Amino acid sequence: MSEERLDLPQGTLDLLILKALSLGPQHGWAISERLHQVSRATLQVPQGSLYPALHRLERRGWISARWDTSDNNRKAKYYELTRSGRRQLEDEAEDWRRLTAAVELVLAMR
Amino acid sequence: MISGLLSDLKYRLRAVFRRNAMEHELDDEVRFHIEREAEKYRAAGMTAEEASRRAHVAFGGVDVVKEESRDGRGLSYLESIVQDLRYAIRALRRNPGFTVGVMLTLALGIGANTAMFGVVDRLLFRSPPLLRDPDRVHRIYFASMDRGTEDARSGTEYTRYLDMRRWTTDFSELAAFSVRGLAVGGGSDIRERQVATVSASLFDLFDAPPAIGRYFTAQEDTVPVGAMVAVLGYGYWQTNYGGRSDVLGQPIDVGSARYTIIGVAPRNFIAFSEEGPPAVFVPITAYAGSFRAGPQLSNYYTRYNWSWMEILARRKPGTTLAQAESDLSRAYRLSWDNEQSLQHSLPAVEIAHPHAIAAPVQTERGPNQSRLAKVAAWVSSVAAIVLLIACANVANLMLARSIRRRREIAVRLALGVSKGRLVRQLLTESLLLAGAGGGLGLLVGHWGGALIRTLVLPDHGASHTLSDHRTLWFALAISLAAGVITGMAPIFQVRRTDLSDSLKAGMREGVYRRSRARTGLLLLQAVLSVVLLVGAGLFVRSLRNVDAIRLGYDVDPILYVYPNTRSLKLSDDASAATRRQLVETARALPGVESAALGLTVPFWDTWTEYLFVAGIDSVERLGSFTIQAVSPEYFSTMGTRILRGRGITAEDRKNTPKVAVLSHSMATTLWPGRDALGQCLRMDSDTMPCITVVGIAEDIKQNSITEDRGLQYYLPIEQFHPEAAVVFARMKEGAAGQAESVRRQLQPLMPGDSYLTVTPMHEIIDPNVRSWQLGATMFLAFGGLALVLAAIGLYSVIAYDVAQRTHELGVRIALGAGVSDVVRVVVGDGLRFILIGVVLGSGLALWAGRWIQPLLYAVSPHDPLIFGVVAAALLLAAGVASLLPALRATRVDPTVALRSE
Repeated sequence: MSEERLDLPQGTLDLLILKALSLGPQHGWAISERLHQVSRATLQVPQGSLYPALHRLERRGWISARWDTSDNNRKAKYYELTRSGRRQLEDEAEDWRRLTAAVELVLAMR
Repeated sequence: MISGLLSDLKYRLRAVFRRNAMEHELDDEVRFHIEREAEKYRAAGMTAEEASRRAHVAFGGVDVVKEESRDGRGLSYLESIVQDLRYAIRALRRNPGFTVGVMLTLALGIGANTAMFGVVDRLLFRSPPLLRDPDRVHRIYFASMDRGTEDARSGTEYTRYLDMRRWTTDFSELAAFSVRGLAVGGGSDIRERQVATVSASLFDLFDAPPAIGRYFTAQEDTVPVGAMVAVLGYGYWQTNYGGRSDVLGQPIDVGSARYTIIGVAPRNFIAFSEEGPPAVFVPITAYAGSFRAGPQLSNYYTRYNWSWMEILARRKPGTTLAQAESDLSRAYRLSWDNEQSLQHSLPAVEIAHPHAIAAPVQTERGPNQSRLAKVAAWVSSVAAIVLLIACANVANLMLARSIRRRREIAVRLALGVSKGRLVRQLLTESLLLAGAGGGLGLLVGHWGGALIRTLVLPDHGASHTLSDHRTLWFALAISLAAGVITGMAPIFQVRRTDLSDSLKAGMREGVYRRSRARTGLLLLQAVLSVVLLVGAGLFVRSLRNVDAIRLGYDVDPILYVYPNTRSLKLSDDASAATRRQLVETARALPGVESAALGLTVPFWDTWTEYLFVAGIDSVERLGSFTIQAVSPEYFSTMGTRILRGRGITAEDRKNTPKVAVLSHSMATTLWPGRDALGQCLRMDSDTMPCITVVGIAEDIKQNSITEDRGLQYYLPIEQFHPEAAVVFARMKEGAAGQAESVRRQLQPLMPGDSYLTVTPMHEIIDPNVRSWQLGATMFLAFGGLALVLAAIGLYSVIAYDVAQRTHELGVRIALGAGVSDVVRVVVGDGLRFILIGVVLGSGLALWAGRWIQPLLYAVSPHDPLIFGVVAAALLLAAGVASLLPALRATRVDPTVALRSE
């Protein structure tokens, strides 16, 4: 386990979930695994906190859910991005880039 | 955006209607995740057990996640309320004794308040239905100095009304109003009914367009005689005309005149009547102008000798009450001058200081508030105290329960349920209880209210608690308040709950602690009970004192028979003959013991004449002497005792020497220190023939039970207005039940369309005793209720203490304490406690006594007997309440108590 794990800034979990789902439908555990691996175990995403976020996104209509058979032949709940979810991902990703770019500029200040 | 809303809605609907399915899905989903995570660890070589543990740790608190997921679903609000309700119902059902006890306690408290609200609202707050902008409508009172005291009255003359119309400027409308009991209709359904004689302007004060037809106009309401047109009351129209619209244009007989129906007032329109809905509305000038009661009333609109109506007025917008009153007072002074120019005996403006008051329309909020309304206001604050006691009791029970549930609560907190959620659940429970209590309370208020109304408002149209929306809102509001108040106590408990402490200590506390909040609540109950019971004692003694007052005549066996001549014009001789015939026939009726003629009846009418006595400058200054003219049997019929001399006899006829019987007080007032027998009274002027005093009778109560000076004199009816005589019949038994049969048997003697009304004497007297009756009954009922509640409260606290002290008591018994020692410890505790309550409560009652003093009769608010009895009652109740748990304590088996350690 890495010593330097980062807590997620408020509101970024939604963005990460949307991004993870943009590559194809996934169930909750796979999303958490993917976030863990891709961020090279840097991001601290408590597994439990994923679910309230998933339900919130589903309610907003950005993702949809269906039950399907998983790779190990068990029923699992799969989430996938909806059209409005895709748009939302683009908007949020854009916002994120502008925000980090701005923060970078400020930090690069001499 | 729209699609977002749609998905939101779809999701929520699914969540509401398929709650269980979603709950299952969530379970499955979480389980899948954890199993998958565990698989990962197993693949890395961990044991199954270790893998599962790691998976759970990585996931975090399952319940919290579920809870937050539900929140994420966004309907937690609605859903969690449903959940809280289910939880509350389950918890309450587990504890039926507690639930029923709390519901009944609250029902009694809420019911008492609902019932009293119905009465007090009607007396003091509710304005007449359909009145527009009631805040600016006033009942006008006229005040002036009379013999050193100021009196204010709303009854006034039509002339005064015209003066006020002419000379005020701050009012947009002034209306004249008077309700008269008049014979209405003809043939078989002729009955005396309430008739409203009103000015045409009165209708403008209301938002009440006629149901059919029209109202009369100012052109139809003019002096000397207005148009003979009538507007029917809605209820009378429905019951007597079946609501038909062809009544318009039909004639109707009202009093001594015939009117033409031109319209029907809307439902609920009663104008300003406080005696129920009027059957008919007629122009006030049509009534007064056609009133054939002698020439002195024919100029009712120019003279000031007939005070029979009231003035109601609407302030102009933007005019303050003070401005309006000074405007009225200025007009009243001009009017006073005018009156004085006609009647020189009237004191000048400078002496009488006439001024006018614009009071609220409710007479009980005006300057002449009745004792009954004051007592009713007191009783309703007593009802509020009862509710407070009930709430204290319930809070106490809840507190005891939450202390018992401390462990459960601590466990749930430890499991991650938020304190806010827990508080909401507790509040749901108490609101649910209060709601149920409020529902039951409405029923209590319904029955109780009917009972109280018969005590307070027998003349008012009864309104039903359950159909009156003001009462329903009130009941809802106090139920909510009770729910919140009673829920507070356990909530504070939760907020203070220290997790580790509660879990550790559990149910086995070596040293028992009594909750300070519970003790405080109990003390409050005891104190309030003492205050209420002292109040009850004061009113009961007042009522007994009032009942013990000798009126100077009997009440229960007497019927009062009043002949109403209507439009019939009989000669004085024929009229006198009719009345003689009435009394003779009445005497022969079965069930009648004796019957006599009189001229007036106490409390309802008063007859006075100018008197002259040699050696006294002004008899009037000594007081008001009222006349009763009687036939010889009067004194034995009424039960009025002759103290000295003789009564009126059959020998006192029209042409024999004039004689009088004086009340004892009148005799001593006119001839102090001398014998009144044989003295000479003159009537009307000092040149009239002597009326010789031949007897002295006991004083009677003529106008007031408690304050009457007893200044009456009796003349032979044959010598004084035999044509106006009334009949008193003394029944052998059950006078009230025979009123109607007496009326039916005597009615055939009445010529033409004249008729009789027969009233049991007690109906005339009762309203004067009602305020004490109300006070005694309600204080006693509420005081008793408070005592029972306090006893229950004490019982539950002590029983709880005993349960908590099982260990300690077991040790004591093991160390050799006997039954009596244990009882002494427990009961002594309860008594000591109540003793503090009695002392504090007595102090409070002593202090509050001075405000209630004016409502009492012949009893000191500091009456030691009452305080003694109340203290004894409380201590007795405390003894009983603590004895039961004490006896249970003696049965504590020391081995069991100690082993449970």
